[in-house]
Amino acid sequence: MEFIDHLALGFGIALSPETLMYCFIGVTLGTFIGVLPGIGPLATIGLLLPVTFHLPPTEAIIMIAGLYYGAMYGGSTTAILLNLPGTAASVVVALDGHPMAQQGRAGPALVMTTLVSFAAACVAIVIIALFAPPLAQFALRFGSPEYFSLMLAGLLGAAVLVNGSLIKGIAMVILGLLLGMVGQDVTSGIPRFTFGSMSLYDGMGFVVVIIGLFGLAEVLNNVALGEKRERFVGKVPWRDLVPTRKDLRDSAGATARGTGLGSLLGLLPGAGPAMSTFAAYAVEKKVAKDPSRFGKGAIEGIAAPEAANNAAAQTSFIPTLSLGVPGDATMALILGAMMMHGLVPGPQIVTSSPDFFWALIASFWIGNLLLLILNLPLVGIWIKMLSIPYRIMFPAIVTFISIGMYSLHLEIFDVFLAAGFGLVGYLFIKLRCEAAPLLLGLILGPMVEENLRRSMLISRGDFSIFFTRPISLSFLILAVFIIAIVLGPGLYRRWKARAA
Amino acid sequence: MPMLIKPLATLAAIPALSMMIATTAAADYPEREIRLIIPFGAGGSTDIVGRTAGQPLSDRLGQPFVYENRGGAGGTVGTRSASTANNNGYTLSVGSTSTHAVGYLVHDDVGYHPIDDFEPISLIAETPYVLVVHPDSDFHSVQDVIDHAQENPGDMNFGSAGAGSTTHLSALMFNDMADVDAVHIPYEGNAEATTAVLGREIDYLFGSFPAVYSAIQNEQLRALGVGTENRASQLPDVPTVEEAGVDGYLATLWLGIFAPAGTDDDIVAQLHGEIADMIENDEAVREALRDNGAEPVFSESPDDFATLIESEIERYREIVDNIDE
Repeated sequence: MEFIDHLALGFGIALSPETLMYCFIGVTLGTFIGVLPGIGPLATIGLLLPVTFHLPPTEAIIMIAGLYYGAMYGGSTTAILLNLPGTAASVVVALDGHPMAQQGRAGPALVMTTLVSFAAACVAIVIIALFAPPLAQFALRFGSPEYFSLMLAGLLGAAVLVNGSLIKGIAMVILGLLLGMVGQDVTSGIPRFTFGSMSLYDGMGFVVVIIGLFGLAEVLNNVALGEKRERFVGKVPWRDLVPTRKDLRDSAGATARGTGLGSLLGLLPGAGPAMSTFAAYAVEKKVAKDPSRFGKGAIEGIAAPEAANNAAAQTSFIPTLSLGVPGDATMALILGAMMMHGLVPGPQIVTSSPDFFWALIASFWIGNLLLLILNLPLVGIWIKMLSIPYRIMFPAIVTFISIGMYSLHLEIFDVFLAAGFGLVGYLFIKLRCEAAPLLLGLILGPMVEENLRRSMLISRGDFSIFFTRPISLSFLILAVFIIAIVLGPGLYRRWKARAA
Repeated sequence: MPMLIKPLATLAAIPALSMMIATTAAADYPEREIRLIIPFGAGGSTDIVGRTAGQPLSDRLGQPFVYENRGGAGGTVGTRSASTANNNGYTLSVGSTSTHAVGYLVHDDVGYHPIDDFEPISLIAETPYVLVVHPDSDFHSVQDVIDHAQENPGDMNFGSAGAGSTTHLSALMFNDMADVDAVHIPYEGNAEATTAVLGREIDYLFGSFPAVYSAIQNEQLRALGVGTENRASQLPDVPTVEEAGVDGYLATLWLGIFAPAGTDDDIVAQLHGEIADMIENDEAVREALRDNGAEPVFSESPDDFATLIESEIERYREIVDNIDE
């Protein structure tokens, strides 16, 4: 079996003490830096990239890959414990993860994210190893019209995701789209809604908005609740740190579905990874027997998006490695690092540098295993954070947020923007509006617009371009289907009432 | 500052004194890390070239470089912040045809002057814009593209890394000189535009060489012509666009290092010396730049670099004025 030989070659290199050490350093640093509010994988890799210049190419890339997973995992940790998500993916994980933490079940939630990440990564790695080149070709069939239709379906899906009123969900998506318009328009280069401020020229920082809407709003809400605040006190016995049999059983299906969705969407540059977590969550809510549990600490609500996020993180290496085209800013950084080390990405990398390619694949797996080993003992320590009195914790959180926001672009404006969004987020909590759909609107808004305008340029203004291309049409049908399953039951009841 | 005070004879001692202070300050330079602003996103050609040259330069200066990617508006956002940065020698920036010529001309108010607000230090590299098509297409030469476009006016699509970007202008220049009528499809960056050729969403692209080089090597893209005066050393079989029949066509991206205006002359001279020596003599750097699709070049002096920028601004001003879409 050639495949086994290849993997053996990869593991041989990845398991050498030196490589293993760099992988471990990457994962550990990534986790600890990723725990800081607002510092996601991109910032972490950007900060530590120069360190890797002094390493041999394979070790350097493996360490960077380790940083990537570590930072993602660290982001989930703060999202669950403190409702401080730093990435689009952890916003979704926090929806049910943070309620679990408030119920004293932070342990199972954290262990579950580790287990699920590992499982999803294992599957996605096999997919990369076996199918990378054909999947990359499939990704190329996504042109501007396909992206537009996919994102339209994704935005509708995000509106479905909310608990409660659909109108509120759609309103939040639209508010997100509007916020996404702020800044320079890529197609014409003209600044919009910047009020002449240079600080808004690049649009509102996505991380700034997340930290404000979720992190600061959470702090404000807890302060406002005062003594009525749900407080978690008391000791957690060691056995309560691990998920129960029921947790495992409940999340098995969710993990599988999330992995599938994530593996597919991860192939699509830009929109894929962020959308996959939202899509996975929406799917779980739809297939669940009792959707009302979601948002209140349903374990499936953690398992599915976490699986999707990790599978997507893995498969997003496919376009990067086999086409040499980076999927997102983080991938671009990894690609740049590869090129600086003289590794030219492309399909030939599998044959020209087999040791590098298979060692990287193997290190994906080992990196995830290291995360598992590293984080299980750490879970106990993270949980201790929850018993810190709030009068100490809140000022600390606000301080860390301020430092994180300032360090993004070294702009004090970002700190104030986050504070402003904190107030807005608190208002949303009072109005019972979920902020998660807003974020997807904010991320996808500029992409939706660009792809729409490009499609129109390509078709010379003919809207049929969206209906005559099979992939695009499929997504539009999916969009109609999403509307139908949401509006359907209500309309049916009304029709029945009238008939009776 | 000494220039302002010099005419005042009564204060003759002060310029001498301040120059002494300046010299001592420069003598210890650099004593801490240097921030290098890269006005484009990570992984793009400016980023790759900037970091490829930045790393060995940092080794030579004995201080780490902190790279700051500040993309947006064809590199003008980051360049604006570089122009107002502290001119103590600890903030440098990578500038290019895009930021110091094209972007300055295309955008209404970039908020900086490409020469007056900077101390140009030295060129580091030059890369051609490469006319690329999909390998399954019927286009095997520059002439094929021109013929097809002339027979079917307004039928072909060409891409760019954004409206008003250098990839856009180099294609407009081509269309104008070859008398071709095609539709412009802007993308978010070089990577996206390259993917669009791979997926056959656009027919042709004047791609930045570092961005398309690996795809050309993998035969996922077909290179028809390079925009430089001479053929690229990495692609000896690909003619220049001029050789292929478009008389006078020249489209290159040069990249160089800048300091904010008012940076100490001694620091500028020191940096220029190090960069010029490194680009001329360090084989590892030259090879690393070539591997990334960039030809190592340096300026004889900072003034030389300023003169080049001036002439480029004039050349592109004509094109921007002529081609008014």
